Amino acid sequence: MLTLYRPGTGWLHRMPAGPKTVMLLALTLGVFLLPPVWWSAGVAAAASVVAYAAAQLHDGALGMRDLGRQLFALRWILLVMLVSQLLFLGPEPAVANATRVTSGLLLAALLTLTTPTTALLEAVERGLGPLRYVRIDPQRIALLLTITLGTVPVLARIATDVRAAQKARGARANLRTFVVPFLVISLKHADELGEALASRGVR
Amino acid sequence: MTETAPVSTPTPATTPSRFRAPDATDLARVAVFAAIVVVLGLPGGFTVFGGVPITAQTLGVMLAGAVLGPWLGALSMGVVLALTAAGLPLLAGGRGGIGVFLGPSAGYAFGFVLGAIVIGLIVHAGGRKPVIWRTAIGMVVGGIGAIYALGIPIQSIVMGLPLPETALTSLVFLPGDLIKAVIATIVVTTLLRAYPRAFRRVWAPKRVASAEGDATRLP
Repeated sequence: MLTLYRPGTGWLHRMPAGPKTVMLLALTLGVFLLPPVWWSAGVAAAASVVAYAAAQLHDGALGMRDLGRQLFALRWILLVMLVSQLLFLGPEPAVANATRVTSGLLLAALLTLTTPTTALLEAVERGLGPLRYVRIDPQRIALLLTITLGTVPVLARIATDVRAAQKARGARANLRTFVVPFLVISLKHADELGEALASRGVR
Repeated sequence: MTETAPVSTPTPATTPSRFRAPDATDLARVAVFAAIVVVLGLPGGFTVFGGVPITAQTLGVMLAGAVLGPWLGALSMGVVLALTAAGLPLLAGGRGGIGVFLGPSAGYAFGFVLGAIVIGLIVHAGGRKPVIWRTAIGMVVGGIGAIYALGIPIQSIVMGLPLPETALTSLVFLPGDLIKAVIATIVVTTLLRAYPRAFRRVWAPKRVASAEGDATRLP
């Protein structure tokens, strides 16, 4: 399964997932709450550059290559924000808002860059622990998340098969005619999955 | 007039599935619908009108609410969001990570959950079998209205753009979403005829036949 994680050995990689989440969320919120004036654009941009440089990403350019890659992924959000705000609000808020939101997202992306999905899922399961008091079993939730991860590739294959079958009959790619067979086959798979779970003692 | 159903058995509770604790099959269906939403958001999708590529992800939200019902539908959307927050690139365009819930589109993501609840409540209102007009209303109110109702204000706050202007920029997505609401309605109606097992629920009998007096008066 494709993830956004990039392996590494820096201090941010070694930090436990829970505290790292809290720290990066606090940083992100701090950047988000900056006022929409010129200097906060500078502060926000500096914050993300410093954070990527300090994160020991070892990408050969002091974190700047990863920063650029993330920035490129955000290009459409950045463009939409800049254009709509330039139209409605003028240059100063436009530049400041676009910069603080972008650098907030860049800071948050550090979490996924440096933490494997399994570690984050375990942190989620630990974080859900208090749900026990409202009679929701955190392990059941964790099981649900794991089953879903395993199901995505299965359904992606079903989707490819349905499309291939339609192409073989000369039908054009069409959302409406694709969805019904895809849904029926997926739901049959769900029934089988349910039986498999039940036979392994999940109630 | 001819009632073929065994009259001796008492009419089932209007919606047996409503307050039942989810079992293993429910769990599997929730997982499968979460995965459907992910698969519909994968690139290489469909070009609908004039070659504009739209993501079919909200179509998955609409179908989850209508097929699973409000609460399991909401749970499956919660699963998608939880996995996204854990760093998987599951949302349309390969977006993922905790940043999704802090960026301008955070409200739309949370809108998936609210949308599934609203759709499920409207489509299965009163535990009756979905009909086409109620399904269509559910898709528009829940699949578009509820998602925009959360998405636009949060986008406005995050971007620092006033509410009316934000709403104006969101209008770009309205045609695509309306098309998806139409498709979702057609799909649900087809599914009701072709594969009613999909819904895994017993609908309340029609109003006319449900009155207890009718059953006893039958010959």
